[in-house]
Parts: sequence; structure tokens; C-alpha cells
Amino acid sequence: MTKKVLDFESKIKEKKTSVASTNKRMSWLLLTPVLIFFGLMNILPTIWMLGLSFYDYTLTSSKGATFIGVTNYMDFVKNEQLSQSVTRTFLFLLIAIIFQTLFGVLIGVLFWKNDKMPGRRFALTLFFTPMVVTPIATALFWKLILDPTFGVINYFLTSLGLSKTDFLTDTNLAFPTLIVVDTWMWTPFMALMTLAALGSVPKAELEAASVDKLPIRRQITTVIWPHAKFILMLGILLRSIDAFKTMDLTYIMTNGGPGDRTELIALSLYRFAFKSFKLGYSSAVSVFLLFVAIALTAIYLYVLNARKKAEEQS
Amino acid sequence: MSIATTMTPSRKKGPISLLTMLCWSTAILFFLPIAWIIATALKPKNTVLDIPPKFFFMPTFQNLLDAINFSNTLAYFVHSLIYSFTSVFLAIFVSFLAAYSFSRFKPAGTEFLMFLLLSTRFVPAAAFVIPFFQLFNLLQLKDSFLGLIIFYTMFSIPFSVWILKGFIDGVSTKFDETGMVYGATRSHIMFKVILPQVRSGLVAAFVFNIIFVWNEFLFNFQLGGLKTYGIPVGLFTSITKGGQVDWSFVASIGTLYVLPLALVIFFFQKYLLVGLTFGTVRGEV
Repeated sequence: MTKKVLDFESKIKEKKTSVASTNKRMSWLLLTPVLIFFGLMNILPTIWMLGLSFYDYTLTSSKGATFIGVTNYMDFVKNEQLSQSVTRTFLFLLIAIIFQTLFGVLIGVLFWKNDKMPGRRFALTLFFTPMVVTPIATALFWKLILDPTFGVINYFLTSLGLSKTDFLTDTNLAFPTLIVVDTWMWTPFMALMTLAALGSVPKAELEAASVDKLPIRRQITTVIWPHAKFILMLGILLRSIDAFKTMDLTYIMTNGGPGDRTELIALSLYRFAFKSFKLGYSSAVSVFLLFVAIALTAIYLYVLNARKKAEEQS
Repeated sequence: MSIATTMTPSRKKGPISLLTMLCWSTAILFFLPIAWIIATALKPKNTVLDIPPKFFFMPTFQNLLDAINFSNTLAYFVHSLIYSFTSVFLAIFVSFLAAYSFSRFKPAGTEFLMFLLLSTRFVPAAAFVIPFFQLFNLLQLKDSFLGLIIFYTMFSIPFSVWILKGFIDGVSTKFDETGMVYGATRSHIMFKVILPQVRSGLVAAFVFNIIFVWNEFLFNFQLGGLKTYGIPVGLFTSITKGGQVDWSFVASIGTLYVLPLALVIFFFQKYLLVGLTFGTVRGEV
């Protein structure tokens, strides 16, 4: 009798372990295609890039690649032009994101308050389109609009009695103009995130607050903010990451000029690689950018997990 | 008090409120630059550079037709269609398998792999251009659809895995268990039981990956060639066509590019959020 029970139990155990092992095999089998792509298109290039960063390798020179250790990294740290470019990128990111968040939250609240307005979907389509237009097209569009001789903006300026301005080649105006265009492009994104953030506030809590006649200030601090802060943070983080990557826009609109007034780090990198063909050196810069990206991803996922935890608690 | 009531979101009827007017004018303000480009494309060619600019004119479709008939324009669109659709289909298929595995079996290192996948989308494209450029030269994949399709498949995988895992996590494991009890095969459970329930995740992944691939410039420019250049390269080269910039032509190409995009935003608006946050945030807007 007991033997039978024991037999039965061991059979169940066997079955369980065999299910577990088939599951394990199955899980890796399903992952294989993605892992192959990932290895081929990410791990391999990354290793290549890491290796290259320790070599002096310029395509246009005939002497081939020579191992030089960390010299490229030292050069990168010492290169004033590059460190300026990094500082400029952070400045650009900071100013642009402050404006985008401000306007985005404002407009987001407008549309949130007005969730039954006539033609809302159509209005939102008009509003959201700038952010999905490829930066190449954005840059071209603004070049036409800002053109010093026949651009429509300059027409308005002169009809207001102001003098004609070449926004994209003026040393003082090029950088602010870039920020204006970026703000035009990405304010809709921050508004979208604001809408999502406000949408993540439980309706019941909002209703309770309005039934209790909670003053609007208290409503924001005690009901809306604790829920909305996560998505808003995620939006700001995503914008930072994107701003850090900005390249196409500056490439077409100003090509980093005048001088290097609008040269952001991604464009500097591109130039090192494809204008001066310093592959070893630009790989070192790439490795730096890779680490920045990984750090930003970690922060992003941290906020994402914090949100998940807060949701599970409530 | 009366202000407070007009400002509440539940207000439905009555004359158009101040709030609605504000919302509409904001939307139009943001669309103005694009509207100006469309207007430029519709203006007769000889009036495009007029000062003062013409705000009222008889629209003509001649510029758009000229742009379509210009040597490479159609080819750019066709190339973009070929590599974006193929690679996004492929990416979503393999991502669905991976997302299912991540969601249901949670193999060791799931979190880390998800983290790595997302981080690849956060690296400036220029950082990866050199190794890819050399790799493609080495494997003779430059200016080939095969090369671009492989590249854009990887490009689309991180977002697809993230979005699909989120959606599959939302489907109860009871479906899988019930299926197993009734002796269904794993592939039956995956494709016949789970897949139909994550349809909106698939649509979002599809639409936004297409937009991302459609908009990608740098790699198409560096890894492609005359046989494979897509629309962004077409836009880029439109400005260098001939000696003087032909703004009618640039605006026409821009219009042809931007109109389908606006339509997509109109029809797939509810997926915009999940699409632009790489599948990490879901919600109503």
C-alpha cells in the first residue's frame, strides 16, 4: 500500500521535472531567433567597436591599424572641442526639455479638461503630427520657413519693421533657433505624456476629491501628483535620451554651424567617422555614448519599476 | 463658481467654450509649419519665392505630379515599403516568440535581456554606424535589401519584444494551463489562444515600427545605396537636386511623405502612447 503511494508520488515528481525541463528547453528555443539577431547585430558590433577603440585606425592613412591602448580615450577627455560638444548637448537637452515640459503639461491639461470637445481626435492629429515627422523633413521644412530672403518668418519680421535675420547662420541665434524647433517638435510628446499621466489617476479618487470639495491645489498634491508623477518622469527621461541622440536635425538644418554653435555630440561623432575617417578615435567616443545610454536605460527602468510597485501597493 | 462649472470636463453641449477654442488654436498653431509646406507644394512654381508670400492662390497639383515623376521618387517610396514591411513582419514574428517565452517561462536573465534590448534603442545611432559600415562591407551586404532587412529587423525587435511582453503579461496564464490540460500543443496555445488576445499590441508594434523604420535616415544613408535608398534619403537629396534649391520640389516630396503619416496618427491615435514609449507605458489619452 505504502509502496504504491510512494511509487505514485515519485511518478508525479518525475513528470513535474520532465515538464520543467521541456519548458526550459522550449523557453530557450523560442528565444533563439531574437538572440541570434541580437548577437549578430548588437553584441558583435559592440565588441568590434570596443576593440577598435584601442587602435589608431584612420581609413585614409595607409599604415593600417596599430594598437595604442587607451590613448584614444585620453585624447577624448583632453579634446576641448569634444568636451564643449558634450557640454553643449547637455545645455541643449536641459533648456529644450524645460520648455517642452512646461508647454506640454499646460497643453496636456487643456486637452484633458476638454475630453469631449468637438473634433478632438482631428485636433490632436494636427497637434501630434510634428513629433512623428522624421527630423530630416523637419529640418528641411524649417529651412524653408526661416530662409533669410523668402522665408515666411522673415516676411513677418520685416512687415513689423524689424530687420531681416538669418536665424540659422547667426552666431547668437542659431542655438536658440535649434531649441525652438526642437520644442515645436517635442512639446506634443510631453503633452501626450501629460495626458497619459493624468489618465493614470484613478477616476474614483478624482471624483471623491471633487465630492469632498478639496481645493484644487490639494487635489493636485494629494490625488493627482502621486499617480501622475511616474509617467511624467518617464516622459522627461525619454526626451533626455532622445535629445542626447539628436543628430539628423542639426545635420541638415545647420550642419553644426555657424562655427560649432549647434554642434551636438552625436554630430561630432558622425563627423569623426565619416569626414575624417578616424575610426579608432570615433569608436572611443561611441563607447562613451554607449555607457551613457546604458546608464539612462537603468534610470528609466528604475522609475518604471517604482511605478509598478506603487501601483501594486494601492 | 460659474467659471468652475464651465471648466469641468463633463460639459457636453452649448456654444463652443473658450477651452475648446484654446485647444483648437494650439493644435492649429503646431500644425502651421507643416500646413505651410503643403501650401508651398500646391502653389504654382513661379510664385513660391514671391515676397510678400502668397497666402491665397489657386492650388495646383502640378508640383506633386512633377515630384512623383522625377527620376527616383517612386523608387524611394518602393524601397522604403519593401524593407520596412519585410523587416517589421519578421521582427514581430520573432519578438512574439521571445515575448511569450519571457512572459511565461521567465528564463534566467529575463530582466537583464529586456534591459539590454531597451538600451540598444537608447544609443545614438551614430555610435553604431562604424561597426555596421565595416561589417556590411565585409559581408558585402552594402546596398542590398537583405542587409537592410536584417538591420531593420534588429532595429524593430527591442520595441516589439517590450510591447508584446507587456500585452502577454496581461493575459491570464489560466488560458495556457487550460490548454495544456486539454492536450493542446504549445504552438496551438501561442498562436490560437494567446495571439488573438494581444491583437492591439501587435497593431501598435506594427504601426510604430513601420514609422520608425520609415523615418530612419542614418543607416539607410550609410548602409544603403542607389538600389535601396528610402524616403528620408530622398528628402535629404531633394535639397541638393540641381544647383539652386527647388523648393517646390522639396515641399512636394515633403507633402507626399507627411500626409500618410498624418493619416496614420488619425487612425491609430490610441496606440500613439504605447508606440512612442517603446511599449513601456500604456494608457488612455
